[in-house]
Amino acid sequence: MGVFVFLPLVLPLTAWPIARLAEHHLHPRTATRLLTGVAAVMAVCSTVCLALVMVVGTAQLPGNPLPDGWSDPEVRAAVPFDEVVGKAAIPALCAVVVACGRTLWRHGRVRRRAHRALAGLRGTEVAVLPDAVPYAYALPGGRRDRVVVTTGLLEQLGPAERRALFAHERAHLAGRHHRFLLAVQLAARANPFLRPLRTAVAYTAERWADEDAAQRVGSRRTVAHAIGRAALVSRGTPVPTLAGLAAAGPVPRRVAALLGPAPAVRRWPSLFTVVGLAAWGATAGAVMSAMSSANSAVTMALILYAATPL
Amino acid sequence: MAEEQQRSRRRGQGELEAMVLSALREADGPATAGWVQERLGTDLAYTTVITILTRLLAKGVVTRRRAGRSFAWTPASDQAGLAAHRMRKVLDGESDRQAVLASFVTGLAPADERLLRELLERPESDGED
Repeated sequence: MGVFVFLPLVLPLTAWPIARLAEHHLHPRTATRLLTGVAAVMAVCSTVCLALVMVVGTAQLPGNPLPDGWSDPEVRAAVPFDEVVGKAAIPALCAVVVACGRTLWRHGRVRRRAHRALAGLRGTEVAVLPDAVPYAYALPGGRRDRVVVTTGLLEQLGPAERRALFAHERAHLAGRHHRFLLAVQLAARANPFLRPLRTAVAYTAERWADEDAAQRVGSRRTVAHAIGRAALVSRGTPVPTLAGLAAAGPVPRRVAALLGPAPAVRRWPSLFTVVGLAAWGATAGAVMSAMSSANSAVTMALILYAATPL
Repeated sequence: MAEEQQRSRRRGQGELEAMVLSALREADGPATAGWVQERLGTDLAYTTVITILTRLLAKGVVTRRRAGRSFAWTPASDQAGLAAHRMRKVLDGESDRQAVLASFVTGLAPADERLLRELLERPESDGED
């Protein structure tokens, strides 16, 4: 099998240009689903690959509970540089497990604490907090999904813009966008090469909610103005970016997208367009990654089965 | 195990704060801790009520002034004010909340701000549907 065993670990690199293309050319809903799916598949594959390499490379280390047969010379022949790679896979796998666990734990904790902070308020969907700091967000889960917004932000928006804001947050809740965000976050923890996909999905999920809100309030321009106004009043926490490489941040891009024409809702575009190339490329990459991983896993499992002393 | 206990204790605190504050808001004027304790009618110890009132004072949700040998307490804000204070604490404590709470906007870099102002000042164009 040779170096192909390691393919799932580096295939996520192919997702970078795909994320770029999908972000720019696909409908945000399609892009979010596609990129999240790709990220999840690639993350699972890369973790499975890591686990298999670890088993083969380390089953003969003293004190290892795995059957010695799993690390016979014939088995090890399936993995190049088995010893080094196998040992390196142990801390890598531990890091993945710890990072994913921490992400899940923090996700739950923030949600719990935020819901608890709202205890004592009436259980309406929208919670308006008297606070001069302007912010708004969608808070899923708890007894019911809630939209949290401060008076500091509402005061800065006109009636139509307020409706746009609420429509945007409700779209997040209705589309269960936090699940996509959690999935790509876990994927990025499982394989750091998948980080660009996390950034891309964070952006496309916002765009998705923007487009839904625009449809709800009937004006893309109103939503654009609501976002712009809100961003200008709540500035002060600049996002850390590399100054030299800084392209336009997500907020101006969202506003620009809303001021431009509405994105087309084609399901599967033709292969001979840039959009099509992105969509089909992503799918092909995910399928290849999944198949190569499955191939590694099945071969490895068969070898291990054959090597298991009965 | 210990964490589980601590968690339920913390939730209890949040609810107690809300209860004490609502009792205080039902008073006609400044009220003493003893009055709040009576009003709540639960088996809350006097010292617990004092502790909660002091915590609310630190959050700026109640005020107090000396009346004889004890304090008279007045609510400075309502339940929403208390919730706002608690929410700020949650948000300030989480550096990575962006991924959990899908927020309306993120921060702006200076270049983004210029770009954004340009975009918003652009006259009505054919982009409108």
